[in-house]
Order: sequence, then structure tokens, then C-alpha cells
Amino acid sequence: MGKVLVFVETKGDEPRKASLELLCEAEKLAASGKFSVEAVCFGAMSDVLKGRLLSCVRRLVRFTDPELAAYSPEGYARALAGYAAETGARMIVAGATGIGRDFLPRVAVMLGTGMVSDVTGANWFDEPMTFVRPMFGGKVFAEVAFPASPVVVTARPNSFAMDIPEGVNGEYEEKAAGSLGGAIHTRVVRVEETKGDAVDLTEADLIVAGGRGLKAAENFKLIEDLAAAIGGTVGATRSVVDAKWRDQADQIGKSGKTVSPKLYIGAGISGAIHHIMGMDTSKVVLAVNRDPNAIIFNYANYGIVGDLFEVLPAMTEEIRKRKERG
Amino acid sequence: MDIIVLVKQVPDPEALVEIGASGKDLNIEPKFAVNLFDEFALEEALRIKEKHGGKVKALSLGGPKAMEALRTAIAMGADEAVLIEDDAYAARDGYSTALALFKALEKETFDIILTGRQAIDADRGEVPQMVSQMLGLPHVGVVVKLDISDGKAEAVSSLEGAKEVVEVALPAVFTAQKGLNEPRVPLITGVMKAMKVQIPKLTIEDLGLTKDMAAPENSKTQIVRYLPPKKRPAVQLIPGEAREAAAEAVRILVDIERVI
Repeated sequence: MGKVLVFVETKGDEPRKASLELLCEAEKLAASGKFSVEAVCFGAMSDVLKGRLLSCVRRLVRFTDPELAAYSPEGYARALAGYAAETGARMIVAGATGIGRDFLPRVAVMLGTGMVSDVTGANWFDEPMTFVRPMFGGKVFAEVAFPASPVVVTARPNSFAMDIPEGVNGEYEEKAAGSLGGAIHTRVVRVEETKGDAVDLTEADLIVAGGRGLKAAENFKLIEDLAAAIGGTVGATRSVVDAKWRDQADQIGKSGKTVSPKLYIGAGISGAIHHIMGMDTSKVVLAVNRDPNAIIFNYANYGIVGDLFEVLPAMTEEIRKRKERG
Repeated sequence: MDIIVLVKQVPDPEALVEIGASGKDLNIEPKFAVNLFDEFALEEALRIKEKHGGKVKALSLGGPKAMEALRTAIAMGADEAVLIEDDAYAARDGYSTALALFKALEKETFDIILTGRQAIDADRGEVPQMVSQMLGLPHVGVVVKLDISDGKAEAVSSLEGAKEVVEVALPAVFTAQKGLNEPRVPLITGVMKAMKVQIPKLTIEDLGLTKDMAAPENSKTQIVRYLPPKKRPAVQLIPGEAREAAAEAVRILVDIERVI
């Protein structure tokens, strides 16, 4: 039976969504009887968090080394690769989050294997396993076979269904990797800007994004209001970020973030290819633009040809009304 | 400060990419550019050199076309460039690419390696970290600010949107993110120099590797075939005045698509 290690990122009492999706997917592998699954965690662990995780995975291992309290690529890679080697893992999976994508390549090299990054689909039972991943900003997808072992994978958030398993009551173990101190050569001196509690764009289910059509930075209020009404996250195009209307962290597209939400609402966005590359894997797309020929309509399920300064507030109001009605 | 910049020649972001009839290859419109994120890396290397002295060397792995990326690097102000010429580069996976670069870097002396956080063709974002691990060096990823002093670097890393200030002793590897700087446009004198300069080439065999390592049967992962992106059905335009269309859009999203 192949052992699967799922690297789990946490934030407070919650697992990161990308990690939870993988735990749900991995439980299906465990249920098949062909794999045994363990979640591996490095951060602090409250009882609430532990309870949540143990209802999704049959075994949870937390490493307690103080060197793992803050993220470092070398420390995380050493601890995860060390445990994978010790347990003879067949596969190591992690969310394709900033951290996951940063240190898993080191894990692969430590284990003398390759990796496949940012997958959006997987055939776990194929021999060799195959994965689907976007290339060229999503202009094409590649099916990648993974004959080497162990298999190291990062999966794009929102790619696997979050089917919370039932009746799982896992076991918990704490371990120490040991000897990490000398292995870590980077040190976090301070954190300049935190994101606060906002859901990261890459993991957001609902995104409302704005472009040049907003005309001024302060008009992003309309985008923020609609996002707040639906419980979504704000995104922006490159030109808006370059104009300093929004922070770089909000940028969706080739030189920004790639998002795959359930719903993407784009207003005042023309649909430059740079932007499309960052949002084309969204499930439902609604575009609002005055120009009926705007390219974004070619990448949308629904379109409103109209003035966003009227349409957005009307949508916000309609959603609030529906919420009041319950 | 001796700095090596890893540079990749990639298809222009606007280039058409189509899947060949066999499904096993791509037809890519022959428009090329230096990988966007590598340009930030190059610019940062030049700024560090201007402040602290030393030299900047650009290293690329690619086909004959990759020479153009290296000429761009020279035109911007890099002192030297080397091409690992390899016709099989496009078939290489992240590991095999990293291994070739590692073999070339093993023979170099440097304080800093800079490169882009990701190449915008394969979009893997694996190679810089793999190279770091092979060299036994630390790395700081997705860097938006970099200060060098006293053999140390203070780098601002924006892995998750939050900005962490990370200190690391040199030598170390840094991957450049948009926002690090504004890459310069080469001066005409730089372009003239770049046209004349002889850029040395290495082969895969020069690095002590065999060409076979790029062969599908020897690589850790391999692309089996290409698939088109899922085609979205034609857009459904919601008619009516703004308020009417807005209400209908909300109804569709809530009651039909059930996404909010």
C-alpha cells in the first residue's frame, strides 16, 4: 500500500482551503484501500484545529521542532523530505500555495525525484500516475506522466472538490525532526505587511475584479461593496495595479496571480490576454462592460453590456435585499 | 559582488500556442522574449553591481534562439554571458533543467544568483529552488526588494501577499517577482556591444551529462500529450436596463448557478 503524505498548511484554527481540498481527495485514495494517507503539519495546533483535521484524515503527524514555528524553505523541506524518506512515502502532495510551490521543489531534489507543479487534475490510479497542469498561462494543458518515485505534487487551489468525509476519526502523533537548526540559513527578521484575515485570491471561491473602466482608485468602492455583499475577494487588472489604484497582491493575470474561483465577476475589464491567463480556469464568469465588443465577453458565461457604475450598485443592492429576505 | 542571472528565452506572452495534430507537440508562433520575471532579475543584478561593483554574468539553457536572450542581457549591461546549447531543452522537465544548470554553476564563483520566480512558458516555478538545493544554498522566493550589505542580503519576500523581511548570508539564490524594479531599456551603445560580442557555448556533454538525460525514458516526469483548455460556451448576454439586468444576473448566480 503506497503511503501518501499531505502537507497541511494552517491558519489559526483553520486548515488552509488548498490543504483541506487535498485531504478530502486523499481520503478517497485511502478509502480505495490502495493508499494509506497521513497529514503532516508544522505549525501550532489548537484542539479545535486538531479536531477538524482528524475528521478528515486517518492519521495526523505534527512536527514540534521550534525551528518550524516560522516558514523557511530549508527547514520545511528537510523535515518533510526526512519524514517521507523515513516512511518510504510513495507520494508527497501539497497545495500550490506560495509556500507549497516554494519548498516542494527542494523536497523533490532531497528525495532524488522530480515533481509536477500546480496540477488541476490527477489520475492517481494510473501506472505511472498522470497529472494535468496548465502551461503558457492556461493556453494549453499538459498531461504529465510521473514514472519516478516518490511522486511530488502541488495542486492548484479550487481544483479538487471539497467533499468532507464522514465517519473519519484519525489518530494524532507528535514528532520532532531534530537537527534542523544548522540546516536553516534564512531568518525572518520582521513581517512588514500582513494580509489580515482576507482570503487569498488564489483560494477565493468568489472574486469581484475591476479594471480601467472604474476610472479612478476611489471607485473601487463599488467593487469592494459587491465583494462584501457576496463574501468575496477583490481582484484587479495589471493596468490598475500599475496605476497604483490597487496593491500588487490584488493583481490577477500573467504577472500576478492565477485564480480559479467558483464565480468571477469582472467589471470594466477589457480582457487583455495577460488578464485572461490569470482567470480562465474560473468556473462561472460574469463580465460587465460598456463595450459590447470587449474581449472579456469571449471568456464569460454571462455578460451585461452596460455601465458598471449603474450595474454594480444594483447588483449589490439586489444581493442585500435577497439576504434580508433570507 | 559577482552575480549570475539565470535567463530563459520564452515565447512572447502574446504568441499563439496551438496543439499539433498528434497531440504530442505544440506549434508556437515564433515570437520570442526574455522571460518577464528574468528581466526583473537582470535589472536587480545590474543595480547591485552599480552599487557594490563586481560583475554580472547571464546564463541560459536553450536552443540556438536563446542567444537572443543573452544578447539582451549584454545590451542591458551584463558583463558576460554563457549559453548551454541544448536542442532537447523543451523536452526537459524541471529536475533535468535544474541539473544541467547546477552542473554549469558548480564551476562558477558567485555571491548571488538571481532569476525569475517562474518562466512564463512551462509555468513550473521549480527550477530556482531545485538549483538552490543541488548547490546546497539557501534561497529566498518571490522577492520584491533586495538590499545587500556586509556579505548579507535583506530580501522582502512576498510569497503569500504578506511581506516578510528575510535575512540571509551570501552566497544565496533569489527569485524575482514583479515590483522588484523597473527593467531598463537597453541603450543603443549596449545594443551595439551585444551584437558584436562573442557569447561562449557549452554543450550538455561539456557539463559531464549525457544528452540521454533529456530523453523521455530517462526523465523523472514527462509530458504525454497536450490538451486544449476547456471551452466555455458562448456568452449569454443578459438584456435589459442596468437595474433589470443586475437583478437578473443575481437571480442566475443564486438560483441557477448556485455560486452565491
